[in-house]
Amino acid sequence: MSVIIQGLLVGIIFGVVLQRSRLCFNSAIRDVKFSHDNYLMKMALVGILIETIGFQAAAQFGWIKLSPIAFIPAAQIVGGFFFGMGMVLAGGCASGITYRIGEGYVTALVAAVFFGVTGAAVRGGALSFVTKWFGTAITTTNNPGGVYSANNGAVNLTIASWLNINPWIIAIIFAVILLAVILFTKTTERKVSGLNWVWGGVAVGVVGIIGYLSQKTYALGITGGWINLFRATTGSLDPTKPVPYNWIGMLVFGLIIGSFIAALLSKEFKLRLPKHPKTFATVALGGIFMGFGAGVAGGCNIGHIFSGLPHLAISSIVATIFFVLGDWFMYWWLFERQTSKRS
Amino acid sequence: MASKVDYTLDERGEVCPIPDVETRRKVKEMKSGETLEVLIDYALSKERIPVSVKAAGGEVLSIEESGPSEWKITIKKL
Repeated sequence: MSVIIQGLLVGIIFGVVLQRSRLCFNSAIRDVKFSHDNYLMKMALVGILIETIGFQAAAQFGWIKLSPIAFIPAAQIVGGFFFGMGMVLAGGCASGITYRIGEGYVTALVAAVFFGVTGAAVRGGALSFVTKWFGTAITTTNNPGGVYSANNGAVNLTIASWLNINPWIIAIIFAVILLAVILFTKTTERKVSGLNWVWGGVAVGVVGIIGYLSQKTYALGITGGWINLFRATTGSLDPTKPVPYNWIGMLVFGLIIGSFIAALLSKEFKLRLPKHPKTFATVALGGIFMGFGAGVAGGCNIGHIFSGLPHLAISSIVATIFFVLGDWFMYWWLFERQTSKRS
Repeated sequence: MASKVDYTLDERGEVCPIPDVETRRKVKEMKSGETLEVLIDYALSKERIPVSVKAAGGEVLSIEESGPSEWKITIKKL
């Protein structure tokens, strides 16, 4: 089966699962602090737990080489913070706005377009000069177990590659910690009409593993997908310089289709427009911040939090911290600072 | 369900987390015994709002489906 078709299929399944489980990292991160609600966060943790073991096993069997995102401290710090802020303005994380397009949210489409365009500009386009501000990656030559992909001998930093210990040890310790948090913290009650936090988490985790086995170079991501969709679609305006659609571009396209089908079948599809046109400007700005942030940081909530943390990648750990800080800051700025101020 | 409500919030079409935030804010401001009707069109809001208004002192009296992917949530301030 061609790689493109695989990407599409994985995307469709991912889209269905996201729509039914309603997993959104923006909401998960925000809710933990501002609503004292850990429901979506626990769903995410279940998925991350499954991938932590799953990715390691896949690498052990030689099916993939683990390819964590490069650690460029300033990039993950600044990019992470901007992305975190952007998610709140846009009304969703990268995967969130993508699947909401399938549900009929016009604001999500606006945010996603600005996300893709800005991301493309940062990664190889008109804004690519900004990447020079952040320096180069810190790598290692350690490759414990030989499970990591190496670029001329350079391996990207994970806790295991940094300390040069067997990655299984780190993976198992992390998995045990996650399991403890999942089992021993009280889950915020929520009556759901779709996949609950356990099944939703299991489903996204499994999709993540399938994604890695299919794409090989990495697990699930969103940013690269929108960039590819933008480049390939505008590229086709000039037939002499075609830009092919790739796995991750098809993943994102499939995501929208899957979410659309799931929404349609559960009667949750509805074309939704905000009351105030000003909202379009806010979500566009959110998309720009997200495109800049993820473009610079090397990944979005899916690339770093969902796909990166299972590697215990240093880049993803740092990015995640700053996604959270940016998210909390912007939510506080918009909604908590003064009760009279409306967004 | 024709009892009169004191306030109505139309949150249909709004971007997350606006429906949740505006509902909670309204419930916080309301006086004990007053009722609020919130119109939403997102399933996630339908699932979250009952939990989030509890902390603001609200209790959900009913959730009615008022259209395709549209609900009317009636909340009472305790």
